[in-house]
Amino acid sequence: MAADTTPPAAPEDGLVGITIDGRTARVAKGTLVTDASAILGIHIPVYCAHPKMDPVAVCRMCLVHVEKMPKLQPACATPVSEGMVVSTERADVAKTREGVLEFLLLNHPLDCPVCDRGGECDLQDFAFRYGPQASRFPITEKVHFNKAVPLSDRIELDQERCILCWRCTRYYDEITGEKELVLQERGVHTLVNTFEGKPLTSAFQGNLPEICPVGALTNRKYRFKARPWDLQRTKGVCPTCSYGCNINIDSRDFEIKRFASRDNPLVDDMWLCDRGRDSGPSWNNVERIRRPVLRDATGSREVSVSEAVAAAARSLREVRERHGPSSIAVLGSAENTNEEIWLLQRLARTALETPHLDHQLEAFPDIGPEEHALGIAEIEQCAAVIVLGDEPEREAPVLTLRLFKAQTKRGVAIRRVVAQATRSLVGELPAEGLIGLIADETNREHATALAGELSRSHQVRRMTVTRGVNGRGAKDLGMLPNSGPGYTAVDQAGKAGRHILEASAAGLITGLVVMGGSVWSASVTPLLERVAAALEVLVVIDTRPGPLSRAATVLIPGHAIFEKGGTVTNMEGRVQRVRPALPPATQTPSETRILSALAAELGAAGWPGDHLLINRELVTAVPAYARAGNGGRALFEAAVRA
Amino acid sequence: MGEHKLLTEHFGTEGLQTLAVYERVGGYQGLREALSRFTPETLIDEVKASGLRGRGGAGFPTGTKWGFLPKDVFPRYLCCNADESEPGCFKDRALIDENPHQLIEGLLIAAYALQVNTAFIYIRGEYHDQRLLLERCVEEARAAGHIGANVLGSGFSCDVIVHGGAGAYICGEETALIDSLEGYRGQPRLKPPFPALKGLYGKPTVVNNVETLSNLPHIVQRGGAWFKQLGTEKSAGTRLFCCSGHINRPGTYEIAMGTPIRELLEEECGGIWKDRSIKAFQPGGGSMQVLLPEHLDLPLDMDAVAQAGSSLGAGAMVFMDETTCMVNVSMRLVDFYHHESCGKCAPCREGTYFESDLMHRLEAGHLTLEELHTLADICDNMNGKCFCPLGDTATWFVMSAFKAFRDEFEAHCGAGACPVRTASAQLVTA
Amino acid sequence: MPLASDTVREITALRVRYPQPRSAILPCLWAVQNELGYLSAEGMEEVAAILDLAPSEVQAVSTFYSMYFAQPAGDHQLLICVNVSCALRGADAIVDHVQSRLGCPSGGTTGDGKFTWESTIECLGACGGAPAMQVNHHFHENLTPDRVDGLLERLRAEPRPSHANGQSVGHVAEALTVKAPSSGPHPPSAETPPAPNAEGPPADTGVSDPAFPAPELPLGEHTEMPGSRSKRSYTKRGSRSAPRKRPRPNAGDL
Repeated sequence: MAADTTPPAAPEDGLVGITIDGRTARVAKGTLVTDASAILGIHIPVYCAHPKMDPVAVCRMCLVHVEKMPKLQPACATPVSEGMVVSTERADVAKTREGVLEFLLLNHPLDCPVCDRGGECDLQDFAFRYGPQASRFPITEKVHFNKAVPLSDRIELDQERCILCWRCTRYYDEITGEKELVLQERGVHTLVNTFEGKPLTSAFQGNLPEICPVGALTNRKYRFKARPWDLQRTKGVCPTCSYGCNINIDSRDFEIKRFASRDNPLVDDMWLCDRGRDSGPSWNNVERIRRPVLRDATGSREVSVSEAVAAAARSLREVRERHGPSSIAVLGSAENTNEEIWLLQRLARTALETPHLDHQLEAFPDIGPEEHALGIAEIEQCAAVIVLGDEPEREAPVLTLRLFKAQTKRGVAIRRVVAQATRSLVGELPAEGLIGLIADETNREHATALAGELSRSHQVRRMTVTRGVNGRGAKDLGMLPNSGPGYTAVDQAGKAGRHILEASAAGLITGLVVMGGSVWSASVTPLLERVAAALEVLVVIDTRPGPLSRAATVLIPGHAIFEKGGTVTNMEGRVQRVRPALPPATQTPSETRILSALAAELGAAGWPGDHLLINRELVTAVPAYARAGNGGRALFEAAVRA
Repeated sequence: MGEHKLLTEHFGTEGLQTLAVYERVGGYQGLREALSRFTPETLIDEVKASGLRGRGGAGFPTGTKWGFLPKDVFPRYLCCNADESEPGCFKDRALIDENPHQLIEGLLIAAYALQVNTAFIYIRGEYHDQRLLLERCVEEARAAGHIGANVLGSGFSCDVIVHGGAGAYICGEETALIDSLEGYRGQPRLKPPFPALKGLYGKPTVVNNVETLSNLPHIVQRGGAWFKQLGTEKSAGTRLFCCSGHINRPGTYEIAMGTPIRELLEEECGGIWKDRSIKAFQPGGGSMQVLLPEHLDLPLDMDAVAQAGSSLGAGAMVFMDETTCMVNVSMRLVDFYHHESCGKCAPCREGTYFESDLMHRLEAGHLTLEELHTLADICDNMNGKCFCPLGDTATWFVMSAFKAFRDEFEAHCGAGACPVRTASAQLVTA
Repeated sequence: MPLASDTVREITALRVRYPQPRSAILPCLWAVQNELGYLSAEGMEEVAAILDLAPSEVQAVSTFYSMYFAQPAGDHQLLICVNVSCALRGADAIVDHVQSRLGCPSGGTTGDGKFTWESTIECLGACGGAPAMQVNHHFHENLTPDRVDGLLERLRAEPRPSHANGQSVGHVAEALTVKAPSSGPHPPSAETPPAPNAEGPPADTGVSDPAFPAPELPLGEHTEMPGSRSKRSYTKRGSRSAPRKRPRPNAGDL
């Protein structure tokens, strides 16, 4: 017998070969059969399996035939091995699927017509595709549980619809660690519940209806608002903070009905915080600026946008002629897209020739790219991560989930210390490996000092939580008085945000262009009112009314972030596209076209107005953005060096 | 052949539950010898040589199971599975009630072989008095230096913790037992990893049945070779059989493996009661398939019974006389699994509920023939599809009974009452 | 209501008994139930606090196991096995008898709060002494209606058993707590099984035997536990794990 009985040699590439229904692929070792089948375009239905959670194999929906195995195997928990041959088409697999669906439907209520999940329910879909034609179980014998239990103002639980896939309880175990929802009782009486039915308090509840494969956990804020087939879905970026969670904007009848998560493993890992998720529908009720307005001592009048732009240019030219270019300042905001920022800083620097420009009211002395070196996903590769204070997680809540994942699934040591910690932490850190240092942008000074100390013994990478959806992009592209695009040096440093306002109130600055200032907090309203009273010329381009827009000599409506195209950069430098999900609330053109027209009126003709053309220009000027492309990280030389 | 007293040799001795009496009849000699004559490695080899197979139901060779532990990974844990809850099974209770120190000695021997410093006895919640007894015995043994630091001056240290359950059959499944012992809902874990690699607290763990461990003092004292010659080629030693049902002398009998079942029934159990004849019996507890009178001549040998389509399981023999309604018995076993299903996987959680509903309507004579075939079909949809063996075994008895007594099952359909009960009532009055 | 200091001390001691504190959940819950007679929300919260767990985790565990009570139970708890081995030897007749004597269905508590009784399909491990039951966790085997009557009379005079350090005090005559059958038939005792060939309780299941005394008047009004069902010869779905509907959150809390 010369038959070769040695097993096939392990391939050099670390890949293993698998055959599913006659199709073959080579996949990474450890890949689960469900994932391998997805690569091959073969559908294996699952309920309990979830890409972000460990397999539990409880629903038994994914049972498939694996050659040389005596029993059907759960594809969701079976890693591929070399030469594995899987069949999903055999009669026994089909019968099992039908059987499991019959079991799952056994005690499931017949309330699909009034179930919010209808149309995007895996139980409906799989029952249609794989399920039995009719029920053999007497309807009178169904086990009943509580229906429509409000777990919070966001979440409603229907215990009867639950198929006990354990996703929500594992979510609280593995993803947030908060243990709010648990399984109670056992056998057919098992149910999902909180301790004594107490309300949920998590800041991440909105993810529950999304991971629930059926209509057991539904979103009370979206309840009975729409059927999924009526929704128009647009890819977007959550506008609430600088974390840059990817979302789907679901709209209907020109209204945002909900934000749904859109998995980006490098950023959000498919989880949204409730603050971000709730911000979508709340936009429908925001008061908007809809028409251009000119205002002078005699009163205000609505005008066409070209009149408004011409008037803005004329009045700014007059100010420059009377008081010189440094009597003009330009303020953007952390809510502007990169393309808007690009034109705005160019407008300030070249058309108006003023050094006074900024995007926030806080000053950023000595700003450099090294404070943005650590990527979100890189947190998982650190040996230890130091979080200064609770501001980072308060500003960007989803960061908490990434830290928890790094801690529990990757063994990263997470040290949360008081924000102003100056004491040495060196002795408490692992000797080897990368150290992540996360701080809020209000705490840059301490972070810099601590990083300086740690870098003597460790490799340190910093992450700084910026403000707004594009606070990072505004910095990268030079919407700063002390730093040009790509953190280049400037000839003459201008006034920073708050100083611009104070100088305006004091009459030192007489002409001000503000784009998106309505996002500033109410605490600066008195200052803004003084500014508005003192300025000769105030050009405001904004979406929402505020103290400045009400006093603007030229007011031009802007497009909200859901109404325009462009790119925004999250706190780790990831450049991501935003797309129009709704028609604009105004008939005026987008900010970029207005800025281009304003520049032309000021004598700088030929600036692009379309965001795609502007983007082409800015990536040529800022190579880090060219390398980032769409979805990559903008990494600057200094950061790479650090 | 026939009755052979090894584990039960001293049963009934006054005060055997105390350390003094147990030591007077030779107790803890096995432990002393294990510690003095064996290294952990040679001890595992001795157990391998004895051919001892697990007495919990699956019959896996004990020494082989021990050999799966990865080398040099510590701490390791040992759990004695005293969660005996199989319908018809009560041998572990007898072993604990009558000779608790024998179990503790066996546990310590295994702990030494496996180099375990913390061993647990997981005892079902219903065995309340047995738990108290074990706790008392552990304290007694600890005071005598048999448990704790430096066991009997050997340098080996082992603590024993008696842990009471709280009512869940599924905790007899070894990974569910581990989950329960860790303080979770006692639900089976995904395998692999197997407990030998990642068990209690994520550490290498061995789970052994009460009877398995109680054998160890005897194997150590008399040698693996001696043990192996008891019983049959592949089923070494003796086994405790729990006999119940329609027999004259229910009880636990220690029998050498290989003895014909008929001998157990006629000689130990005193035959079927009331001079009736046997209709059927279940050889391995509630999980196992029904056997018929023609199988009485099978030897008590795991493989021989397996060939007949059933299993010796945990050694529980339930005998049923001619008046028994097999539908009623099936209904009760189905209800048992329905009650004990942990609810983890859909086929078991919902399937046992469906089965139970059908069986109750069948027993009451309200099922149609078509629905009877539905019963067979859902059993097929459960068997082999469940997360752990509980859901699979929930179908075994009812399906085997359906096969062997098809007429009886079909006679129930649409009868409006149990036809067997009606017939046997006539029999009694006649 | 906070737990008694003895119970807290016991739980705190259990915490360090295991390699990991969480392992102590089951014994800690026993300590709570021994004190209160059931597991109260406050009791579970205290256990959670001492073991450094979320209360939800403790409730998840406690509801899984069938021996913990979610509501206060009667002074004496009777658990009658109706699995195969006991049923083959007349357990259903014992169940019928107890039901008629106590006047409440399985899973219920007598109106005077003296007894909570239940028929269980969970095998109690007393098949050699079938039919059998547990009274306050002690085995009583080879039951006949007469013996049950005697037992009920004695229990009626007994106070609720007290517990200390997890040790329940045996309160019924010691002879009744028979040992498990040893090798061979039971040793002769007060609880000797019926002699071979004697007419024991009927082997058939589900019918009341005319030989058994007719049910007397119920001993008191009964209270029914939620989820208990009485339409079948025994509790079909095991009321010990029947759904105990959890309270809904108070709308005012939201």
